[in-house]
Amino acid sequence: MTPKIKNEKKKKLIELENIHVDLKSSFETINVLKGINLKIFKNESVGIVGESGAGKSTLIMCIAGLELISKGKIFFKNLPIHNLNEDDLALYRSKNIGVIFQSFNLLPSMTALENVNLPIEISGNFKNNKMAMELLTAVGLKNRIFHYPHQLSGGEQQRVAIARSLISNPEILIADEPTGNLDKKNSEDVIKLLFQLKKHFGSTLILVTHDTFVAKLCDRIIRIDNGLIVK
Amino acid sequence: MLLETLKNLTLSIRELRGSFNEFKIVVASIFLGVFIISAVGSISQNLKSEIKNKRVEMLGGNFELSTTYQEFPKNIKSWLEENGKTTHIIELRTMLSYGSQSSLKRRIVELKAVDNNYPLVGKVLTSPFQNVKLPLGTKKPEKKILIDKSLKDQIGIDVGDFVYLGKSKFKINGIIEKEPDRIFSFATFGPRVLLSTQALNETGLLKAGSLIKYKTKFIPNNKNKINLATLNDLVKGTNVSIRSIENTTNNFNNFVDRTSIFISLVGLITLLISGAGISNGVKGYIIKKTKNIAIMKSLGAKNSKVLNIYLNQILMIFLISIIPAIMLGISIPYLFSPIISQELFNTFEPSIFLQPISISFLYGFIICILFTILPLLKTYKIKPIELIRKSSENSLNETSYKIKGIIFILICILCVLTMNLINDKKLSFYILISITGSFIFIYGLTNLKFYILSKIKFRLGTTFEYVRKAITKSNSFARSIVISFSIGLSLLITLNIIESSLDKRITVAINQQAPSHFLIDIQPQQIEKIKNIALSFLGETNFNSQPMLRGRITELNNQLVQGIKVDKEVEWVLRRDRAFSWSNKIPKNTKLISGEWWPKNYDGPLLVSIGDKIAKGLNLKIGDKIKFNILGRSFEAQIFNTREIIWENMDINFIFILSNSNIENAPHSWIATTKNVGQNLNNSFVEKIVSEFSNISSISIEESYKSIKSILNLLIIIINSIALITLVSGIIVLAGIIDVGKKDKLYEVAILKILGATPKRVAYLWFKEYFIIGLITSVISLIIGFFVSYVLLNYVFNIEIYFDFKMICILTLLVPFLITIFSLLRMMGLIMSKPLVVLRSYF
Repeated sequence: MTPKIKNEKKKKLIELENIHVDLKSSFETINVLKGINLKIFKNESVGIVGESGAGKSTLIMCIAGLELISKGKIFFKNLPIHNLNEDDLALYRSKNIGVIFQSFNLLPSMTALENVNLPIEISGNFKNNKMAMELLTAVGLKNRIFHYPHQLSGGEQQRVAIARSLISNPEILIADEPTGNLDKKNSEDVIKLLFQLKKHFGSTLILVTHDTFVAKLCDRIIRIDNGLIVK
Repeated sequence: MLLETLKNLTLSIRELRGSFNEFKIVVASIFLGVFIISAVGSISQNLKSEIKNKRVEMLGGNFELSTTYQEFPKNIKSWLEENGKTTHIIELRTMLSYGSQSSLKRRIVELKAVDNNYPLVGKVLTSPFQNVKLPLGTKKPEKKILIDKSLKDQIGIDVGDFVYLGKSKFKINGIIEKEPDRIFSFATFGPRVLLSTQALNETGLLKAGSLIKYKTKFIPNNKNKINLATLNDLVKGTNVSIRSIENTTNNFNNFVDRTSIFISLVGLITLLISGAGISNGVKGYIIKKTKNIAIMKSLGAKNSKVLNIYLNQILMIFLISIIPAIMLGISIPYLFSPIISQELFNTFEPSIFLQPISISFLYGFIICILFTILPLLKTYKIKPIELIRKSSENSLNETSYKIKGIIFILICILCVLTMNLINDKKLSFYILISITGSFIFIYGLTNLKFYILSKIKFRLGTTFEYVRKAITKSNSFARSIVISFSIGLSLLITLNIIESSLDKRITVAINQQAPSHFLIDIQPQQIEKIKNIALSFLGETNFNSQPMLRGRITELNNQLVQGIKVDKEVEWVLRRDRAFSWSNKIPKNTKLISGEWWPKNYDGPLLVSIGDKIAKGLNLKIGDKIKFNILGRSFEAQIFNTREIIWENMDINFIFILSNSNIENAPHSWIATTKNVGQNLNNSFVEKIVSEFSNISSISIEESYKSIKSILNLLIIIINSIALITLVSGIIVLAGIIDVGKKDKLYEVAILKILGATPKRVAYLWFKEYFIIGLITSVISLIIGFFVSYVLLNYVFNIEIYFDFKMICILTLLVPFLITIFSLLRMMGLIMSKPLVVLRSYF
């Protein structure tokens, strides 16, 4: 597979060195990631593909600072994040990362508008609803801002999640199978929207997907198999 | 800072939306405890304030001066009359005769004879209402009396009937509804009968040596000039005692304080038990909010931020629960004001006091935080990665020291608050130690039982194995259920054992040892005649008599008693008049503890024999000196021996028995007891004595026991109700636990049904599970109940332990059935659920 852009001309954003993730239970230890080396550059879109249980989600969660690594190093703009404590990781996420999950993960007790505002409320940067309204308008939910998640369809909920991921204007957008819970029509709409907004905001997109068609939309595709990157 | 707090609060409110229902158990738990503390505090403050306002009315004047046996010295009486308003009262016990002249029946009553000035403050209310100050006729031929309602109820006499007192005939002119200078009446021997002094003088009941109290209520003209010190100077060297409004209300305030402390402690214990409910409720809530917490963390929320959001929610719930609890608590005096007015004061106007509000608020707040802080810390354990899969990391240790510090500080504040509430360092220390000890003991015993249960190696069948695993698994709430119910049940069992042991002891004493009747106010010239009659009716051994007069202790080892610190248990001995007897012969059934009895022909300086425990409490030993004031004269006696006094035998028990001396020439009376040689014979003897000697009164021990028992029963009912309140809080905890575990139980029932279990079979399994939890609770409570009651009976009451096995069996089975039935009823809906629907929604 040939990268669609030349990496060396781009600014390095994320660097993973020999990443291992071991999950321990009382019975056994599972080596989910077995030594991943990866560089991700500013403004590129990276599609991560692989079989179920290969370690795709774990890999992007490591980048998001949500998964603790057992061994290796992770750098964001050449600064190490692998040795940060929980609170510093939370700060790193709130400033730099926007996450979109397969199951939307909206707070059921909050309206679409409140859900979108949630990251900036958590970080203490909330000033007004302007940005959230713009984002909701951009994702086509102008008339649904005061609706609660249970009043929205799956596709609409994922649009709210996309808007929420962009509210802090993050450098990296991480999407973990964002169309996994949607039908074909909604999937196409969401992917189209995601790439549009990525372009608009100039973010770096890291996308986990099973869908090769979606993966092909990315600048680069990385295949994971049994905890390792395969060519 | 304020803006930040407001932003956090907004976020907390948004996150809380739609989740209020999850907190119903927490709300109920906080509500119950806080309500009890605020209600009791409000009632107690209101009563104390009302007493402060009405203390002159309660005492019947600003001062009450009293003597026993003798009238006031004339100079004191005239000084009082010159310097203020006075009313003179005479009080004595006597037999009231009623019925037809040919077959008169008798009942002991408390006579109160008053002059025309009575009452100085307030009004005697009677039924039927009579618009005169005091409806007592004094003109011949018809004398009138007023009687207590209890006398009317007991012997069936009513307004218009005729009765006899001494040698006079009286017409009942009304029923006393309210006697202004008497609040409590349960510490009397008989019902009140009110008559005029003039009428009393004609009854022939006023005999020298009879136990007669002379009282004068006094309101000084110049209240600034005449105070307690003035009156003390006036009565110096006489046997006149003075009570002022201060020391009268102190006694009542002490009573109110002690009662309210006791009930407030129940509130505190209820709150502590409710703590388990609060803790489980919050734990369940956090479990349900795991996903939300993980989402917020994935969006960049720090642990402290998440903790802050949920702590804010708990505080909001706390406010929601505590405000109605306090409001209801402070409205209790208003709701009960008609009853309080009727029973205690003529008019009662309740107010709102800040102290009970602040105390109940603080207690509620501290308990709430104390019991939610650990469940809230579970939010630290929740990782954002849980949005994808279960996490195993744990970062709680990072803050554990800080949190341990906070918990320690909260416990310290709770202890300080409790010490402040009790206002007695020693007592509060014992109470705090007992509460902590009980909780540690119950907790330790519960864990031990569960440990043993989890380590059982042999199999007792599949059903038992299922049940054993269900209650010993790491996330089982069985321990919380056991702890929540054990406290109330242990209390019930302890009370039951103590009650049956006391009851048994008293019944045995009445049947075998205690006398059948007391005869009081026997004149010295009557005693020989009575002894002769007793000899023919009862025989020598069944009649016991001793001379008696009353006096006060003024000095111990040449130190005035007012300045001496003695054991609280025996303070009462120094407080008022006490009865003395004298004898050179060692009284029947006396057991000397130290020293020996003085010789029969002893004629030297005055010696005294004193009750051993009383001597120890007063820090006295053989050779020490006690100064008495008897009828205005001082006598000093040296302690010659100490003896055992067994109050429960209900016989003549004098604390002080003096050696024979000039004292026997003072006006005195005799007291006698009769032993039951046969019900009819005894009654005939008593009847003969009281009919032949109208000044003598008889008291039936059986009847006295009945009235003591009715007071005791009232106390037992109150304490049992309190134990039941703690069981109610146990039920609240149980309800919370069932709600928290509902999802898992739903899953469990679905799996069991798919594997072929019928709803009946599932119900049977759960019945066994909860019944075993109940049985564990009962066994733990039995161990604690037996232990505590044994210690109390052996070391405090000094009586043998006795069990009412039937009652204990009922109590032991009560909780297992309560837990089982309540749980099954609450989970009935789960048993009927459709397994596939459940499994689809579970994942």
